[in-house]
Amino acid sequence: MDIYHHLNSDFISILITLKLAIITCFFLALIGTPIAYFLAFKSRKTKPLIETIVTLPLVLPPTVIGFYLIIFFNPETVLGKIFILLTGEQLIFSFYGLVLASIIYSIPFWVQPLQASFEKIGRDTVRTSQSLGASSLETFLHVIMPLCKKGFFTSFIISFAHTLGEFGIVLMVGGGIHGKTKVIAISIYDHVEQLSFGKAHILAGGMLILSFFILLTLFYFNKRTVVRIK
Amino acid sequence: MSNLSVFLKGKIGNLFLNFEHHFKNNGITILYGPNGSGKSTIISALGGFINSIETRIIFNGNELHNLDKYPLNNRPFGIMFQNPILFEHLNVEENLDFVIKRNQKKNQNKSSISKEYLIEHLELNSLLKRSPENLSGGEKLRVVLARTILKQSKYLLLDEPMSDLDIKYKAKLLVFLKNFNKKFKIPILYITHSIEEISQIGDQIVLIKDGKKIDNGAVSDILNTNLFGDLTGKFELSSVLDGKVVSNDHNLHITTLDVDGQKLIVPGYPGKFNNEVRVRIRSRDILLSSSRLKSKITENELEGFISTIEVEKNSAFSELVILLKNLKNNKNIQKLRARITTYNLKKMKLSRNDTVFIYISSVSIDRQAYQSK
Repeated sequence: MDIYHHLNSDFISILITLKLAIITCFFLALIGTPIAYFLAFKSRKTKPLIETIVTLPLVLPPTVIGFYLIIFFNPETVLGKIFILLTGEQLIFSFYGLVLASIIYSIPFWVQPLQASFEKIGRDTVRTSQSLGASSLETFLHVIMPLCKKGFFTSFIISFAHTLGEFGIVLMVGGGIHGKTKVIAISIYDHVEQLSFGKAHILAGGMLILSFFILLTLFYFNKRTVVRIK
Repeated sequence: MSNLSVFLKGKIGNLFLNFEHHFKNNGITILYGPNGSGKSTIISALGGFINSIETRIIFNGNELHNLDKYPLNNRPFGIMFQNPILFEHLNVEENLDFVIKRNQKKNQNKSSISKEYLIEHLELNSLLKRSPENLSGGEKLRVVLARTILKQSKYLLLDEPMSDLDIKYKAKLLVFLKNFNKKFKIPILYITHSIEEISQIGDQIVLIKDGKKIDNGAVSDILNTNLFGDLTGKFELSSVLDGKVVSNDHNLHITTLDVDGQKLIVPGYPGKFNNEVRVRIRSRDILLSSSRLKSKITENELEGFISTIEVEKNSAFSELVILLKNLKNNKNIQKLRARITTYNLKKMKLSRNDTVFIYISSVSIDRQAYQSK
């Protein structure tokens, strides 16, 4: 087989990985932000429960989540049936199954930095804004969002980088189907199994450098913000 | 006349709040009590931020306890919280504009207080483009006050707004608040621990302890009560005297007041000719004599008679309430409270209804003791 074909297949993995990370972050913003807001500003009795559920993916082995997702995504379940009805496809081993799994697996990485950032500006800031006549939405858009820019940025970077690095769960739920659910991490695994260390080097090195610079950007940006405030 | 009736009952943390009061005036009402007595909680409840207790708030006929109808962002109060916050991502002017923008629709017909008026009177001009993080405590406070007022609300709730302000600026700001209140007829509920602030700007006062109202009334009536003394410590007890300016002496920098026909000389210029002035005099700054002294020891000699004597147990002191002689008519007799040692009381053989002469040094009366009326 010619080299071109293999490069091409790795290139497709890279595209799938980036697409997965971007779409996951988009949905995390929609789902994770209200959860972070709730946890930071509403002290309800349910708070510890929700915090526990949101943090679970951090401590569980990916195989545990993967195992239950496989069961949930089964075409026989309600979720599985609905998905087939909508797309004509099975949820399991599909790209959207992968997205769903990534969202669940990365949710603490979105919620926790943002929650910390919300908590830092505090309930008093929110109260002040409301007492000055701003609605909850206006308060969120004009006060919380600009004040928590750093928190949003951190959540995005960490979630994005974390999604890039997923392995266990994407393998279980996605099956590593070439051109569909095979992400970089799985490609590397395949290369190593086939003893193609050269190809593994290219992908692994690329991931290393990319992750390094993503995190460097994050810490550089956050450090600069701190300096500017002082 | 604004009409605010408040009823709050329930447990919040360690505090059992059982507060009921009818605020019915356009002046400045002081909410006074020890730490943890529930003062700030009352302001939070008025703002709609407390919903775990039984609440009834009726303002000019509107049932504000109905949070569906009067949500947090649609309440008639301008609130300055105890730890005031400026939005750090906005500069001073943008902070002011924030509240203008949010209330534009509501205030279309009644923008009576302009941004320019507040910028001028609170001296904000040089601060407008500055970021909140570069403001001093006092500057920050002025901006927050301006922002609170710019909401054009019908009632201002100020929670210890001057607690970390230097004396010089405090005096200025108190005069501003008093004039503002008179000019725009917007009532103010004002929490403070400072007797100076109370006597300078307070019209009415509500005393609160352990979540309960224990007394209320005009500042001049409450300030010299024992109940108030119990809250503050007797050492701080004081009385207020109302008088009218007779003359200002610009060479010696003093002002002479007429207090019901008696003369009281005070330092500085608390008012101009014919202005009404209120002066606070601490009980411990009063000297008494049972007869008129031949050689004068202070500028001020007032005449009165003793109405009550209270000898404190386990202490060296006694508290006397003296009724000032009214040389003009027999109505509206003003009270003065004196704190002297029981030793001295016995030595002078003072008893009820005795005539006494009161000596007050003008030195003990400072700028902070005045209330412009």
